[in-house]
Amino acid sequence: MNDIQLPAIDYAALLPMLIVFGAACVGILVEAFAPRGWRFVIQVSLTIGGLVAGLVAIIVNRDLEITTIGGAVTVDGPGLFLQGAIIILGIVSLGLIAERRLERGGPFVAEAAHAANSDGDKRQEREPGATEVFPLTLFAIAGMMLFCVSGDLLTMFVALEVFSLPLYLLCGLARRRRLISQEAALKYFLLGAFASAFFLYGVALLYGYAGTVSLTGIREGVLQSEQSGILLAAGLALLAIGLLFKAAAVPFHVWTPDVYQGAPTPVTALMAACTKAAAFGGLLRVFNVAFETTAWDWQPVLATVAILTMVVGSILAVAQTDIKRLLAYSSVANAGYLLVGVVSLNGAVGSSLFYLIAYGFSVLGAFAMVTLVRDSEGEATHLSRWAGLGKGSPLFSALFTFLMLGFAGIPLTSGFTSKFALFSSAWDSDQSVLVIVGVLSSVVLAFPYLKVVVLLWLNPPGEETPTVSVPSMLTRAVIFAGVAVTFVLGVAPSFLLDIVADAGPFLAK
Amino acid sequence: MSLLAQGALLAADNTVPTGEAVTFWILAPIALGGAIGMVLARNAVHSALLLVCTMLSLGVFYVLQAGPFIGMVQIIVYTGAIMMLFLFVIMLVGRHTRDSLIEVLRGQRLAAVILGVGFAMLLGTGLARGVGSVTAKGLDEANANGNVEGIAKLLFTKYIFAFEVTSALLITAAIGAMLLAHIEKKPGEKLDQKVLSRNRFTKGNYPGPKSGPGVFATSDSVATPAILPDGTFTERSVSKVVPARELTLTEARPKATNGNKQDGEIR
Amino acid sequence: MDSITYAPATGALSSMWLLVAIPALSATVLLLLGRRADKWGHWLGVASVLASFVLGVTYFLQLRGIDGTGNKSLSVDLFEFIHIGDLNVSVGLLFDPLTAVFVLLITGVGFLIHLYAVGYMSHDPGRRRFFAYFNLFVAAMLLLVLGDNYVMLYAGWEGVGLASYLLISFWSDRPAAATAGKKAFLINRVGDVGFALAIFLMFATFGTTNYADVFNGVLASEAGQTVSAGVLLAMGLLLLLGACGKSGQFPLQTWLPDAMEGPTPVSALIHAATMVTAGVYMIARSQVIFNANETAQTVVVSIGALTLLIGCVIGCAKDGIKRVLAYSTVSQIGYMFLAVGLGGGAYALGIIHLLAHGFFKAGLFLGAGSVMHGMKDQEDIRRFGGLWKYMRITWATFGLGYLAIIGIPPLSGFFTKDPIILAAFNREGWTGWLFGSAALLGAGLTAFYMTRLFVLTFHGRPRWQKEGEGGAHAASATDAHGAHADAHGAAIARTEDGRDIQHPHESPWIMTVPLMLLAVGSVAAGWLMSTSVVDWLTPVFGEHEEGHAHLTHTQVTIATVAVTVLGVALGYLLFRGGTSLVEQPARTHLVRAARNNLYADRFNELVFELPGRLLTRALVWVDNRGVDGIVNGLAAAFGGGSGRLRRLQTGYVRTYALSILSGAFLIVAALLAVRLG
Repeated sequence: MNDIQLPAIDYAALLPMLIVFGAACVGILVEAFAPRGWRFVIQVSLTIGGLVAGLVAIIVNRDLEITTIGGAVTVDGPGLFLQGAIIILGIVSLGLIAERRLERGGPFVAEAAHAANSDGDKRQEREPGATEVFPLTLFAIAGMMLFCVSGDLLTMFVALEVFSLPLYLLCGLARRRRLISQEAALKYFLLGAFASAFFLYGVALLYGYAGTVSLTGIREGVLQSEQSGILLAAGLALLAIGLLFKAAAVPFHVWTPDVYQGAPTPVTALMAACTKAAAFGGLLRVFNVAFETTAWDWQPVLATVAILTMVVGSILAVAQTDIKRLLAYSSVANAGYLLVGVVSLNGAVGSSLFYLIAYGFSVLGAFAMVTLVRDSEGEATHLSRWAGLGKGSPLFSALFTFLMLGFAGIPLTSGFTSKFALFSSAWDSDQSVLVIVGVLSSVVLAFPYLKVVVLLWLNPPGEETPTVSVPSMLTRAVIFAGVAVTFVLGVAPSFLLDIVADAGPFLAK
Repeated sequence: MSLLAQGALLAADNTVPTGEAVTFWILAPIALGGAIGMVLARNAVHSALLLVCTMLSLGVFYVLQAGPFIGMVQIIVYTGAIMMLFLFVIMLVGRHTRDSLIEVLRGQRLAAVILGVGFAMLLGTGLARGVGSVTAKGLDEANANGNVEGIAKLLFTKYIFAFEVTSALLITAAIGAMLLAHIEKKPGEKLDQKVLSRNRFTKGNYPGPKSGPGVFATSDSVATPAILPDGTFTERSVSKVVPARELTLTEARPKATNGNKQDGEIR
Repeated sequence: MDSITYAPATGALSSMWLLVAIPALSATVLLLLGRRADKWGHWLGVASVLASFVLGVTYFLQLRGIDGTGNKSLSVDLFEFIHIGDLNVSVGLLFDPLTAVFVLLITGVGFLIHLYAVGYMSHDPGRRRFFAYFNLFVAAMLLLVLGDNYVMLYAGWEGVGLASYLLISFWSDRPAAATAGKKAFLINRVGDVGFALAIFLMFATFGTTNYADVFNGVLASEAGQTVSAGVLLAMGLLLLLGACGKSGQFPLQTWLPDAMEGPTPVSALIHAATMVTAGVYMIARSQVIFNANETAQTVVVSIGALTLLIGCVIGCAKDGIKRVLAYSTVSQIGYMFLAVGLGGGAYALGIIHLLAHGFFKAGLFLGAGSVMHGMKDQEDIRRFGGLWKYMRITWATFGLGYLAIIGIPPLSGFFTKDPIILAAFNREGWTGWLFGSAALLGAGLTAFYMTRLFVLTFHGRPRWQKEGEGGAHAASATDAHGAHADAHGAAIARTEDGRDIQHPHESPWIMTVPLMLLAVGSVAAGWLMSTSVVDWLTPVFGEHEEGHAHLTHTQVTIATVAVTVLGVALGYLLFRGGTSLVEQPARTHLVRAARNNLYADRFNELVFELPGRLLTRALVWVDNRGVDGIVNGLAAAFGGGSGRLRRLQTGYVRTYALSILSGAFLIVAALLAVRLG
C-alpha cells in the first residue's frame, strides 16, 4: 500500500482566495454570534477588509507564475489580473450592496421567508435588510476568483457552482417587487442547473478522451490521445455550452434580461461586472490552454456564436423599454465582443482583459445610477419615466449621458478605447469578419444608448417624473469610480494596457 | 470486496462478462424508463419514486463497473437520503398541489420532444462511434489499493482544494435554506406552550383544527373563497355548485363551541 | 514623391492643443453649471470660439513665417493613447497648411455664426444648452482637422456626429426634428462603419494609423509592391464610404436636407460650412492613398459628379427655403468631391471651393434664417415675395451670396468653381468630357434654381398677404410650421378682431452684422483664394500640373458663364411673376421624382432599413414570449388575479430551456459534423 503524498501546496499563490473564503466564513460566524444591531457595521467592514486584503495579496503575488496542488490551480499573469479585476469590481459593487440611505433598510429584504405581500411582509417593510448578503457576496467573489485560476475542469466546476449558488440566492432577495425578484432567482437557478449539467457531461467526455481533466493534460492529449476525436469534439461542445451560459452568449442568453431586471440592482451590477469577468476568464483559459491546438475545429462555431450574440444582443437592445433590460441586452452584445477576443486566442487576451475592466466599471456606474431614480414604488426603471430628467437633475443626467456615450463607444471614453483595442487585435489575428460584424453591431447598439440620452435631455418630462434620490457616500463613490474610470481609460488607457501586456499569455505548461 | 476487484480485473481485458451484460441489459431499460417516466408522471410522488428507480439502477451500474464506493454512495446518500427527503417534502407540501399540465405555449412540447430526441440521437450516435474504438485502461492502477483508497487518494491530494472549497458550497446552501425558509420571531412573538394552549381554549377561539394547508381560508364555510399569497381571493377554491358570496361578519366567524346558539353571545 | 515627415512644433504652435481645449472647456462649463449659467452662458460660448479664432490666426501667421524650404507640417505629440503589442496610437496634433485653412474657416465662420445665434436663439429657453452643444461641435471639428493620425480624426468625426445629432434633435418636441435626428444618426453611422473598418485595415496593413507612417507605407508599397492594389482600393473605398456619410454624398445624401429641422445657425454652421465638408477634408488628407489607386479616384469623381447633378435636380423641385439650400449644399459638395477625386493639383481646387462655399453658404443660410425670423418661421418660398423692401440688409447680403454660388464673376464662386469645371474637362479620355459636361450642366442648373429661390423670395408680388387687404394670409400655413415660434412671436401683433398680422421686419444688428461680414467674404475671398491659397496648399498637395487639355481655360470660362447666364435668365423669366401657392400637379416623371428626392429615401429604406426592420421584427416576435411573460408577471404581481399568478409561477423557463437546448444541439451538431461525416 502506497503512502498518500500530499502534493506541494503553494499557500502564497492561494492566499488571495483563502483570505476571501476565510472572510466569508467569519461573516457567517458574525451572523450567528454578533448582536443584531452591530451586524451591518461588522459585516461591511469585514467584507471590505477581506476584499482589500485579498487585493493586497494579489498585488504581492503579481509576478507569480506557478502551478500548484498537483495542477489544480494555475496562478499566472492573466489569472492574477482577472482575480484582481474581480476583487476591485467586487469592492466597488459592494458600495451598492451596502447602500442604506436610498431605501430604508437597504436594497435587500429583511426576511425573505415572508411570503410576498403577506402581513408579515408588510410588517418588515421598514426593517433593515438581511446581512447574510455580505458573506454570500464574498463566497461568490471567492468562487469567481478560483474559477479564473482553475487548472483542471473539476476544480473549475466546483468553482462555478461556488459562485453561482450565492448569486441565485442574492437574486431573490429584493426588497421591492419581490415576486419578480424571486421569479428571477428561480429562473436563474433552474437554467443554471441545466447549463451545469452540460458542463459536467462535457467534462466526462473530455476525461474519456484525454484520460485527465487537467487543462494542460487535455492540451497534450490532443496531440497524443489514441481515442476517437468525437469524444473531444462532443466534450468540447458541451463544456463550451456550460461556459457560454454564464457568459450570456446567444442562444444561451435567455435568462439575462429577466434575471437582470428582477434581481436587486446591486446584485445585477455585481453580475454584470464580476460574473462577466469570471465567465470570460474561464472561457479564455479553457480555450487558450486546453483547446488552442484544436482551434481549427471550434473557431468557426464559436465565431458564429459571437456573431449571433453581437447581432441579436444589439438589435434586441433597440426594442427595450426598461433601462435594466436595455443594459441586460447590452451586456449580451458586449459578451459577443468579448467572444471575438476569445476566438482570436492569444492575440487578444490582453485586450479582452482590458475590455472586461473597462466594461465592468462603466456598467457598475450605470447600474448605480439606475438605483437613484425612484418613486414611491422603488426604482422607476421604465424608460418612459426617465423622460426629461435632465431638466430637474442636470448633474445626474450629465453623468449618465457620459456613461451612455461610453457604452456607445464614443471616443474619449473607455468604450471606444476598449472596443478599438479589442477589434484591432482581433483583426490582427485574422478575424476580420468578426470585426466587421462587431463594428456594425456596435453601430446599432449605439442607438438605444443615445435614445436614452435624448430622452433625458430633450424630451419633456412626463406627468409623474420620478425623483433622483440623494445617495450616501457609498453609492456616490461607486458612481464616481464608474465615471472616472470610464473617462481615464478613454483618455489615458496606456497604464492599464501596459499591465495587461505584462500579464502575458496563459500558462499552458 | 475482493470479488468485485476480480470483476474489475475481468473487465480490464475488454471482454464483458456474461453476468455483467445480463445485469446491464435488465437494468438499463429500467433506468431509462424510470427517467422518462419521471418526466411524464403527473403525480409528484410517482415522479420521485421513478427517479429512485433510476438512481438505484445507476448505483448497480457503478458497482458493476468496479466502482463499489461510488455505487454505495449513490444508493445510500442519493437514493436513501436525498430522495427520501424529497419525498418527505413533497408529502408535507401536499401531494395534491399539482401544477397545471396544460401547455399554453404553442409548439413548445413538440419542439421540446423533437429537440430532445434529436439531441439524444446526436450524442448517442456520436458516442457509439466514438466509444467503440476506446480501449479501457487505467482501472487496475486506479483500483490497485482498493477502490475507496483510490478515490481517497485523488480526493485528498490533487483535488484537495476543490474538496475543501465544496464546503463553501455547503455553507452557502445552508445559509440559503435559512434565508429562504426561516422566519425569526421577535422577542415578544415567541409564545410558550402554556400561553398557546391557554389561548387556544379561551372563549371565542375555535379549538378544532384549522382549514387545510394551502387554502388560507378565512372561515370554514365552503362558500368562502381562499386567499392567495398576495392577499386576493381566488374564485377557483369554491365549488361551482356553491354560489360564491361575501359572508357577513357573523357568518364568517368560527362557530362557537360552548353550545350557545347565537354566535354573537360569546363572552 | 518624397517620404513624408513632420517637424516638431516650436514656439506658439507647441500650445496648439489650446485650440481644442478652449471650446471643449467652455462646453463643459456650460453643461455642468446648468441654469446658473443661463444669463451669460451664450457670451462665454461666443468668447471661447473667438479665442480659438485669435489663436488660429496666430498659428497661421507663425506657419506663414516659415520660409519656403522649411517643413511646413508641424506636429505635437501630446501623450501615448493606446499601446498594445504592435499597436501604438498617440494623441498628437498636426498643423500644416491644409489644417491651417480649415482652422481659420471653422473658427472664423464659427465665430460669426455663434454671434448670429445669440440673436436668433434669444428667446429660446434652451439657449445655454444650445451654445454648449455648439462649442462641443467646434471643439470636435477642430480635433478632427488637427489630429495627426486616423484615430484622432475618427475621434473628432464621432464628436461632430454626436453634436450634430444633438443639435438636429434640439427641438425634439417637433416630431420631424426627432425623426431627422434619428435619420442623420443612422445614416452617419453607416458611413462611420466604413471609416472604422478602413482604420482597422490600415492598422493591419501598416501597423499604425499615423498619417506620416501610413502615407510613407503607401508610397513605399507603390515602389516595392508590398501592399496589394486590392488592399489600397478597399482602404480608399471604405474611407470614401465614411466621407459619403458625413458629407451627404450619393447614396447617403438623404439625411442632410432633413437635418435642416434643426435651428438655422446649426444648418449654417454644421450642415453647410464645416461638418459636411469633413468628408472632403478626409479625402484631401488621404490624398496619398487615393493617388495610389486610380479606381478609387474614379469612384470619388463619379460620386461627386452624380451627387452634384442629383442635388441640382432635387433643388429645382423643392419649395422650402432651407431645403433648397440644403440640396444646393449637397450639390456643391459634389463639386468638391469631383475636384478632390481628380487628384493632383485639383485637390487644392476642392479645398478653395470648400472655403468659398463655407462663406457664401453660411451667409445664405443665415440670410434664410433672417427671412424666416421676420416671417414667423415661414419656410415656403411660394409664400414669400417682394421682401426686398422690408429687409434690405438681408436682401443685399443674400443677393451677394446668391451671385457667389452661381459663379458670376468676380465673386468667389466663379473663381473656385470655374477651375474645377476646367479640371474635370481636362481629365484624360472620354471621362473628361463626361465629368466636364456634368459639372457644366450642374452650373446651369444651380443658376436656375438659385434664381428661382432668390426671385420668389425677394421679388415679385408679395404672396404673404391677401390682395387688397393689409392683413396676413399665410396664417394657416405658418401655424403648421410655427409650432416653435417662441423665438419669433415678438413680431406678431394681434389686431382687435384677433387676426394675426405679419410685419416682415429686418433682424437685429447681432444677426445682420455676421451676414454683412460673410457677404464681404463671399465677394472678396474668391480671387484671393484662387491664387494665394492654392500656393499656400502646395506643400501639402504638390504642384498643379497641367493635364491633357480637351478645352482651354478661356473656352471653359465662356461656356460656364454662358450656361450660368442662361440659367439665370430662364429662372427669372419663369418666376418673375411669382408662382402658384399650391403645388402644381407633377406632369413629368422627372418632376415627380425630384419632388420625392429622386426616391432616395425609398432606395435607402429598401437597402438599409428593410432588412434591419424585418430582422428586428422577427427577433422581437421571438422575444415577446419572454417579455410577455415578465409583463404579465408584473401585471399579476401588482394587479392580482389568480390565473395570471399561476402563469407567473410556472414562468416561461421551459421556453428558455428549449432555447438553450436548441443552441446546445446546434453547437454539438456543428462540432460533430466534421468528425462524423
